[in-house]
Amino acid sequence: MPEFLEVAVDKFKFRVATDRFYTREGLWALAEGYQVHIGLSDFLQQRSGDIAFAEIKPVGTKLAVGDEVAAIETIKVNIALSSPIDGKVIEVNPEMDTAPEAINQDPYGAGWLAVIAASAWETDRAQLLDPQAYFVVMKAEAEEEAKKL
Amino acid sequence: MTDQKRVVIVPCSGIGKTYGSVSREAAYDVTQDLRAETTQLVPLSLLVLGDAQARAAVADTQAITIDGCKLACATKMVKDSGGTVAKDYAVLDVYRRYKQFKPQGIAELNEGGQQLAHALAREIAQEVDALNGGQHG
Repeated sequence: MPEFLEVAVDKFKFRVATDRFYTREGLWALAEGYQVHIGLSDFLQQRSGDIAFAEIKPVGTKLAVGDEVAAIETIKVNIALSSPIDGKVIEVNPEMDTAPEAINQDPYGAGWLAVIAASAWETDRAQLLDPQAYFVVMKAEAEEEAKKL
Repeated sequence: MTDQKRVVIVPCSGIGKTYGSVSREAAYDVTQDLRAETTQLVPLSLLVLGDAQARAAVADTQAITIDGCKLACATKMVKDSGGTVAKDYAVLDVYRRYKQFKPQGIAELNEGGQQLAHALAREIAQEVDALNGGQHG
């Protein structure tokens, strides 16, 4: 069970798990050796809205940083998610076919998207944000969004 | 049908929301066309305002609710008004069953939204029949 950094903005509360790394767009990457789970941050899933469908690139797909790894359709938007690392998809969360709402319900746990066998984790990790850095980015974005309400 | 009480249909009141519009289109389809003789639409806004007639309508018979988002206002308000929710539909769950009908638009739904509303209405009509002992009309 990870620990979290938390912030309340307007009526919303956002959490950042402290045991993983993040892209500025809000994808997280959690490594176990060279196998890296990826998923959406709490802020990204809340901002995107209730998820209707999640299509993940199939097992075997080779990815470079920035390649599309998943497409998410929510009640608000369609978003293409870019891979945070180089590697190959070795597992896709089976829940994404039948219950993609897991992303909304448990973004840092049951709502993971895929596992990527990283080909250059050390290099890629250096380009990602640590939890504290992502928290600052996320908080600024959340406060900017709140001004539009 | 003469003595049987009409099944109450309560859709989401989310004005300006695509899924709310789908819920209302489906409710109109059921109450004005598919099962006009056996259903009655009760606007969620009247329940929110505490309208006595609307509250009496939901308290007196079984209700089917159609929610546009996870806040599930229609379902909550029917329960808070003393009603019994026989079946609650969430538009998002229905859309997952009819992926080919992607709803868009607000004041005017696109073709996908209209088709999704019709598909949902057909499901509700069958549920109404089941509540009435399998009888249509």
